[in-house]
Amino acid sequence: MKKILLNRDFILFSIILIILIAVGFANPLFVTPKSISDVLTDTSILIILALSQMIVILIRAIDLSVASNLALSGMLISLLSTVHPELPVYYFIALSCVIGTILGVLNGISIAILKVPFIVTTLGTLSIYRGLIYFVSDGKQVYSNEFSEDFLALIHVKFLSLSFLFWLAVLVFIVIYILLNHTRFGRNLYSLGGNPDAAKYIGVNENKYIIMAYSLSGFFAGLCGYLWVARYSVASTQIAIGFELTVISACVVGGISVMGGVGTVLGCVLGALLIGLIRNALPAVDISQFWQLAISGAIILLAIIINTKTEQRKEKTIMVEN
Amino acid sequence: MVVCLQMKLELKNISKNFHGVKALQNVDFQLQENSIHALLGENGAGKSTLVKILCGVYQPDSGIINLNNKQQSIPDPSASLSLGISAIHQESVMFDELSVTENVFIGNHITKSNGLVDWGLMQDKTNQLLKDLEANIEPNEKIKDLSIAQRHIVQISRSLIHDADIVIMDEPTASLSQKEINELYTIIRNLKKQNKSIIFISHKLDEVIEVCDEFTVLRDGELIKSDSIQNTNKDQLITYMAGREVNQIFPKNNVTIENEIFEVRNLFKKTQFKDINFNLRKKEILGFYGLVGSGRTEIMKSIFGITKLDEGEILFKDQKILIRKPSDAIDQGIVYLSEERQQLGMTGLMSVKDNINMAVMDRNSNFYVMNKLKEIKNSSAMQEKLNIKVSYWSQLTQSLSGGNQQKTVIAKWLSTKPEVLILDEPTKGIDVRSKSAVHEFMGELVEEGMSIMMISSELPEILGMCDRVVVMYKGLIKDILNVKEASSEQIVKLASGES
Repeated sequence: MKKILLNRDFILFSIILIILIAVGFANPLFVTPKSISDVLTDTSILIILALSQMIVILIRAIDLSVASNLALSGMLISLLSTVHPELPVYYFIALSCVIGTILGVLNGISIAILKVPFIVTTLGTLSIYRGLIYFVSDGKQVYSNEFSEDFLALIHVKFLSLSFLFWLAVLVFIVIYILLNHTRFGRNLYSLGGNPDAAKYIGVNENKYIIMAYSLSGFFAGLCGYLWVARYSVASTQIAIGFELTVISACVVGGISVMGGVGTVLGCVLGALLIGLIRNALPAVDISQFWQLAISGAIILLAIIINTKTEQRKEKTIMVEN
Repeated sequence: MVVCLQMKLELKNISKNFHGVKALQNVDFQLQENSIHALLGENGAGKSTLVKILCGVYQPDSGIINLNNKQQSIPDPSASLSLGISAIHQESVMFDELSVTENVFIGNHITKSNGLVDWGLMQDKTNQLLKDLEANIEPNEKIKDLSIAQRHIVQISRSLIHDADIVIMDEPTASLSQKEINELYTIIRNLKKQNKSIIFISHKLDEVIEVCDEFTVLRDGELIKSDSIQNTNKDQLITYMAGREVNQIFPKNNVTIENEIFEVRNLFKKTQFKDINFNLRKKEILGFYGLVGSGRTEIMKSIFGITKLDEGEILFKDQKILIRKPSDAIDQGIVYLSEERQQLGMTGLMSVKDNINMAVMDRNSNFYVMNKLKEIKNSSAMQEKLNIKVSYWSQLTQSLSGGNQQKTVIAKWLSTKPEVLILDEPTKGIDVRSKSAVHEFMGELVEEGMSIMMISSELPEILGMCDRVVVMYKGLIKDILNVKEASSEQIVKLASGES
């Protein structure tokens, strides 16, 4: 029982419940099924990106370029859809994923083969990919009336009164859960992040795994490129600007150690949910917009402090009786 | 009875250079099937280079590797594993955050027909394996919660899973207690019965003679001698290793022990230790013996202010003192040299000079501005005193040899001019020559008036260097013995909780 209470994921879950109850008292409208389903929909993209960021963080790296990757992939397919509105939506989704993956592979090659440190590489591509959006779009926006109906329709499909976005996030959660816990690839990511030198001794090819991790991160950024553009019905140079930081905070809150090799898929999702909840709850309880950013930052810090305090390495017991 | 042994592994004329330094020169090495082969040599003799070549981490510049009479190349670690060579390293090849099962199967996960990892089967196999080894370890436990001995057993299980014929053990007993060592010997002998060949690296020659069948000695990258263990003895091995006779007698000088200088009363820390009472006299060396994890290090860390005591008082020169953080202890003149010197003792990317002066910045500065002259004076004096071999003053500490790094750490603490020196396993894993240098130096320090508390897991060291020994078992002091009157059997018995 004590073990469960001290479990990171359980604590995170409790924090989410407490916030939900507290906000519910202040504004009962916030805890209606409709409102909660909106929060889930709103957080789905964050969940998907946090899960893919987790893969990268597990091997002691970070991908700062995800938001730019997302925006560039989204812009490219939006531009294509204005020229070829007749193409089916699945075509655009696939294309967006392919573009994202290529951008991710470029990150991976730079880090693994060219040996440019990950922070420098992805800081660089953060600007490069964002800059390329200006280049391909001439700085113009693609507005909602320019997209084909088909392009925007999929995102509004509902199943059991929950959105397509939500179900997609659930699917990604299941896929990544299996990938990280039940495949050799996933387990080797944990070993590589936990102890890179030892992983080499057991024959894990570090470069291959770096490139794979960044490709996956790119793939999901590309997927979210379509999702973002379709959901907000707009593609511009400015979409998702700074969103990589939200994604990384979700991972950190979820207990994914930036030292690598530690973290659960469930924790990552809960981290994203907590951040999504805070962002949605603060306006609902009438907190001035000026305060919202600072308060959400403070709550994130608090969650991390509570989380790490309980996780702190327990000292080994030497004496049995005391 | 003549036993005809098969040649398992043969290395011929292996050479390896690093930037002009000859790590190995035309070394031959032969490993028989079904035997335990000791690989001996001082630090830097080329043992680890040889092991890394076998593990596929390094490629030899020249030479031939024959495995089962077939020439092989080992281009990378996974090739080494698939050839049936498995190495059990001293440290850092475990995955702390992963479970025992996963550490056993790491890089070798069993998958079901659908490609997913088969956790159930791996769990069962691990359980069986640990049972066969008679080890009391839960497959679900995380590695970070295991003792060092248990970690070794997990590593051994790993090499069994890999179906290795050749198991390389790099100082497997370095931080184990006597009881754990005996258990490990049993496991090693069992491995031999299962037709494995074992390469055994150790600095403890008594255990080499007890466990091994053959030996090879390397010195400065050259092969010195290879023979059967029966044809040699400890002194001869030392001569082979050092190239000269090394004085194995502990150079403890006769000093007159003076009055009590330091005392602890009723130290207590929940789940760690309790009822800790002992005193230390001026110019005395007080030993702390016990199993690894018996609470010795924990007590010292509390005295030094790294962890908080729950109860108890510390008296220094008959005055009650309060130590809340390490700097309080340093100000009083009490310093602690950690067992983990690389992680906790030095900053590898700083120069030797800066490392030496690190703990005395306040004394070497005027109004917060560093006085370079004082710093240089201090570090030169220390360098001379301890004979630290540096090429130039701004040389980075990490580029020094292990022995010189150790000396740098000692110099750092001696700069604070301590009166009480706490040494935690000061000679763990260092070669014979450096070891006797450390012992010699301890003798000099007490002569100059220092008092020393030394944690050691090596009984000969305790018996040779200390005046009295505190024997600990599970967080309790079992007895404090006068070394001259104590027998080693008595100490071992107390430390293992008997009587």
